[in-house]
Amino acid sequence: MAGLATTFGSGAMTNSINEIEQAQVILVSGSNTTEAHPQVARRMFNAIDRGAKLIVIDPRRTRLAEYAHIHLAINPGTDIPLLNAMMRVILDENLADDLFIEQRTENFHALRDMLYQMDLEETAAITGVPLSAISAAAQMYARAQKAVICYCLGITQHICGTSNVQSIANLAMLAGHIEKEFTGVDPLRGQNNVQGACDMGALPGLFPSYQAVDNQEFREKFERAWNTTLSPTPGLSLMQMTHGGPQGPIRGLVIMGENPMLSDPNLTKVEATLKGLDFLAVSDLFLTETARLADVVFPAASFAEKTGTFTNSERRVQMVRQVVPPLGSCLSDREIVMALSQAMGFCMDYESAAEVMEEIALLSPIYGGMFHDRLDSSWGLQWPCWNRDHAGTPFLHKYFFTRGRGRFMPAEHEAAAELPDAEYPFILNTGRIYHHYHTGTMTRKSPSLNRECSEALLEVNPKDAAGLGLRTADWVELSSRRGAIAVKVQITEQVPPGSVYTTFHFPEAPINLLTNDARDPKAQCPEYKICAVRLQKIEGVVKAPPVKLDKTRKISP
Amino acid sequence: MNDNFILKKDHLPGLLRRLMKEYRLVAPVNNQHGDTLFSVIESIDTADLDLCSQPQSSIKPFLFPQQEGLFDYEHSATAYHFEHQPTATPTAFFGVRSCDLSAVLYMDVIFSKKGRDPYYFQKRQEAVLISLACNEPFANCFCNATKTGPFLEYGFDLQFTDLDDRYLVAIGRAKGQEIVNRFRHFFEAAEEKDSKAQYQAFLEARSHFKQQVHVDQAIKRLAGQPLPEEIWADLSLRCQDCGGCAYICPTCTCFTISDQPTSASSGQRLRSWDACTFSGFTRMTGGHNPINSRTHAVKQRFLHKLLYDVQEHGRPSCVGCGRCVGICFGGVDIIRFINMACGQL
Repeated sequence: MAGLATTFGSGAMTNSINEIEQAQVILVSGSNTTEAHPQVARRMFNAIDRGAKLIVIDPRRTRLAEYAHIHLAINPGTDIPLLNAMMRVILDENLADDLFIEQRTENFHALRDMLYQMDLEETAAITGVPLSAISAAAQMYARAQKAVICYCLGITQHICGTSNVQSIANLAMLAGHIEKEFTGVDPLRGQNNVQGACDMGALPGLFPSYQAVDNQEFREKFERAWNTTLSPTPGLSLMQMTHGGPQGPIRGLVIMGENPMLSDPNLTKVEATLKGLDFLAVSDLFLTETARLADVVFPAASFAEKTGTFTNSERRVQMVRQVVPPLGSCLSDREIVMALSQAMGFCMDYESAAEVMEEIALLSPIYGGMFHDRLDSSWGLQWPCWNRDHAGTPFLHKYFFTRGRGRFMPAEHEAAAELPDAEYPFILNTGRIYHHYHTGTMTRKSPSLNRECSEALLEVNPKDAAGLGLRTADWVELSSRRGAIAVKVQITEQVPPGSVYTTFHFPEAPINLLTNDARDPKAQCPEYKICAVRLQKIEGVVKAPPVKLDKTRKISP
Repeated sequence: MNDNFILKKDHLPGLLRRLMKEYRLVAPVNNQHGDTLFSVIESIDTADLDLCSQPQSSIKPFLFPQQEGLFDYEHSATAYHFEHQPTATPTAFFGVRSCDLSAVLYMDVIFSKKGRDPYYFQKRQEAVLISLACNEPFANCFCNATKTGPFLEYGFDLQFTDLDDRYLVAIGRAKGQEIVNRFRHFFEAAEEKDSKAQYQAFLEARSHFKQQVHVDQAIKRLAGQPLPEEIWADLSLRCQDCGGCAYICPTCTCFTISDQPTSASSGQRLRSWDACTFSGFTRMTGGHNPINSRTHAVKQRFLHKLLYDVQEHGRPSCVGCGRCVGICFGGVDIIRFINMACGQL
């Protein structure tokens, strides 16, 4: 969000998902698209069928990387040097889009000077990728007429996440690959409605529609609408709330549909913080690891039990309609928030989700023309949608960037907060798999999905496995400076030597006990993708053997 | 041609209304959000019957549900107790396309191979199948190449053919005859011109297919030399393991069994759809998988449809409905495979 907001002026996908099909070159960075965003991957495959070229930047050899025309298997955490090297090649080969840079951007000289002062060979060496491959990828990208960059959490979950994103924006602007249809920079959102949460001001310093709380005009508008006074001081970020320690800055917390006791880094700190609160309320479908710590748990309705909207990666606001009545005493999120607010002495009275949407349209300009009746009869509208007559916006920055001119923000290599050393010699990378969603709160309850994958597996390169005397399905104690778990090993060339990889879906092997809560100073996004760990083989059986049926029991037909 | 009758379109709602008094009626209905699905019709006046689009799924879920309770169990310290009270409602399926009806005939074979599957046959015996021949094949259809349409010669209880203002109704089986006898006043005897009009519609439909799919050629190729490994690897790498093809396929019948506890001492045993493209389908307890999903994920699926079933039953188990073409995230559908097998991609 912060990276694209400072360079382009809007922190969202600049294209629509369908536009990816028409691109001639697709550059994917830090995204296991086939597993995490299959509907986007579908468009990538369609584009390839039409002759497009695919470049994948990923330390791991994912399925998509295997399918790519060029796979740049960088050392973890070296995105900036890689992107800088690509940009230098573009300059050296005279492939930069001078006209675009001149007319639409600013601060280009700062980038150019940095790139010319840089030693290309040395920079390439940091990434671990041969310069010839970097050069081929850079030329492939810059020469295309229509090219998109898709990136995901592999770019943002680093202490230099904002700079990583800015470097991607630099590359796109240098090649003039923005402000056009089928051409742009596309961050893929991790959840169905994370874009909507950002749009609605679930950020410390912003009201809905990215209207800053410290702007008096915006603040007064919301104060009039809600008939109350609002603080001009930005609130706390997630990490400040969940990692503040037992004597931290907040004393009471309401958590909705999130499971930080499994999903946040350095879980020991999270647990201490949550246990130290005076009051914790959690609203979720099931009794999650976090909900177990709560003083009050609100049973929340699932997607099928409520009406409202979700906003997806391509800024498309889509209706979700109730098809079954809520089970038991479940309530929709709207009802929970209203009841809570009522109990705290502030009257919120909305008769339906449609009424809430009317208020959103009134107060939040980019949603200005979005009403339930319009959304109900269509596949949704893409913001900005200024008024009832506006058809929505398939791609952003047409004619000019949201912030006026696109701003080049040069960045230099910044090493990860914690690199491997003699004590902890491996790099741990974490991510997701196709069959489970986040902390498995829902997907672990499906027998079919659980059959596909029922336990965490630690991916280890065959060379490292040989060195440690490990075989597939052996158990290891995996530890970092923050914690240790027992986990089963899967030996695969999907991870490079020196790195191990696993997912965070499994409470039985909570990998976030180990991950580092060091974070990007601007976006406050923690470095899930790199920390130093060691592996120690565990001899013998770790898991309790399955419960055996008593054979002496009689079975009646 | 004595078995053919005419039903004027004006009287279709009346006939369906009468049928609803004796059967649960299932037919393609537009759900007001652009999707046409086989649905149980509660009221013939309010349901938006859609006989012009291909229903998103076949009638497979009504005969072989995505998840089905096999029995309830309860156990105490000394004994297990099982409870199963299967029921099936007499159901008339109206507007079943030729491909989907052929798929039911295939399921009949599969579910009676090693003893009759009681769960399937209970529902099947209570089902009346009224098909609607396809004058205008849909975008991804190729039932002409799998010989399961666009018109059928057998297998249906009744087959309707659209002749503009009227349907030609052919009787295929006893249950169809029963319906015509029971509601004889709705039907007129067909004349020769009606039969000629039906034949003309059949001939024209055959020339309207938008897909050219050489199923027979692929079957012959597969029966000969094994395909080059690159074909399997290329397709498998794009398979995203979602199982959508098997779930949407009217002839995919693999299932898995699981127990769903409802308390510490009781629960329900379920069977749920499964798919051979899932890696868990072949993975062994120790974690070893004889199938490498990156190189062979889709091999079993396509060979089962076009080689093993031909060897075993003398016909492929793809009915040419084309649904997997629309659903696949990776573009790893059966048309693509057949084209590759025939050397055209």
